[in-house]
Amino acid sequence: MFNRFAIAIVTVFLLAGCSAAQVEQLAPTPAPASGAPAGPQIGSESAALKPTRQPVPPVRVQVGDISVDVPVTPVGIEADGSMQLPPDVSVAGWYQYGSDPGSDTGTTVVSAHVDSLEYGLGPFSQLKNLPAGAVITVSSADGTTHDYTVESVQSILKAELPLDQVFDRDGSPRLALITCGGQFDYDSLHYSDNVVVIAVPVA
Amino acid sequence: MRHKLLAGLAAGFIATVGIAAPAQAISPSTADLYILHAVPDLTVDVWVDGEILKADFEPGTLTDPFDLPNGDYEVAITAAGAPLADAAIGPITLTLAANTSYTAVAHLDADGNPTATLFTNDLSTIAAGQGRLTVRHTAAAPAVDILANGAAALTNLTNSKETKADLPAGTISAAVAATGTTDPVIGPADVTIQEGVNTIVYAWGSLEDKNLQLAVQTIGGLHSNPNGVQSGTAGLAADLNPVVLSLSIAALVALLAAVSVATLRVRTSRQSNR
Repeated sequence: MFNRFAIAIVTVFLLAGCSAAQVEQLAPTPAPASGAPAGPQIGSESAALKPTRQPVPPVRVQVGDISVDVPVTPVGIEADGSMQLPPDVSVAGWYQYGSDPGSDTGTTVVSAHVDSLEYGLGPFSQLKNLPAGAVITVSSADGTTHDYTVESVQSILKAELPLDQVFDRDGSPRLALITCGGQFDYDSLHYSDNVVVIAVPVA
Repeated sequence: MRHKLLAGLAAGFIATVGIAAPAQAISPSTADLYILHAVPDLTVDVWVDGEILKADFEPGTLTDPFDLPNGDYEVAITAAGAPLADAAIGPITLTLAANTSYTAVAHLDADGNPTATLFTNDLSTIAAGQGRLTVRHTAAAPAVDILANGAAALTNLTNSKETKADLPAGTISAAVAATGTTDPVIGPADVTIQEGVNTIVYAWGSLEDKNLQLAVQTIGGLHSNPNGVQSGTAGLAADLNPVVLSLSIAALVALLAAVSVATLRVRTSRQSNR
């Protein structure tokens, strides 16, 4: 968008010079500064109040290759600023302020606890075993389904998780499944890594 | 740094294919300028430094942003097709600072005469889960209150002024009423406070001419992301610690070796005792 408008502005000023010369050739007296717009016009649209697209939440994620079939519920932010997660390891959370599977752009982020003291080991513990190309099916609240294929599975030190890329809203549509992994610190009760699956929509 | 690729294509961090450029074009040397036409019943041309940059501009429409080097610009509004000398508004000098987003609004003042106001758009980051509501009074009307779901939320707003607040994301029923009253002169209408977006609502038109209405401009990309994903607390899915593992193996080997030697000594001594 930056380049397009910069070019438009430069073009406007260049064409302004050209058209003034043409007017002098066609008319014996210079035309008064009026009327003709100087070259390409900047775009505009109606500013009338109109309904905005409401997100369509995902409600189910199925990953056949690792026998995962979990319900999904919308989640927000914890008080400490981290992504909220359902306490039950068998229920995944969808980051409700980001993209959903029906969005034109951005990454749909779904995460579940890999384990908990209360619930034990969860289905997302199997994410690290997913092969590239595996199919993930997401069902949405409006009855539609969206299929994705796994592009990458990575284990990343938590401090190095590229949050702006994972929670991207403007790029091409993707699905991110996230959980914990790596080493476990028995003092802080935290894992060292995030296991991140990136999947792209099936064409 | 530890970063393991367990499967697939991304050799480094998460693939950056398809990450779009930032939505705002402002920079240390440029400003964004939007123009809103909020004068009823007048199709206009917008002149900047003596040239028409937007022709046949209809009331109630908003331009895409001009990306302009910082500095002074002479802006005038004429009826469509009229000469610059017959400007309905201006020429006025707008001073644009770098790294700033502006909306210039052509509108009626409180007495119903055409004028223009330059507003600065707040692009500061918004906390996760919230959106920003900005309201600008650009109508030929006295001071107003903005009602959210029936109750006065922002009060005593006068012509050419704005007020704003960061609110939880969601949809509110918004209305505009004369200050101190709750009888709407505009609305109620549903306004969605989108998360991470500055939703800028303009009241425009004329109370006397009974054509008051709302216009909306949105500027997104202001959201905050979560600061992490903490998704495990029991250690049941941990990778074996390689240091601990190798020490354990070494210790086990040493133990087995000691047991074998001890067994051999016992057998030897028994044999020699026969």
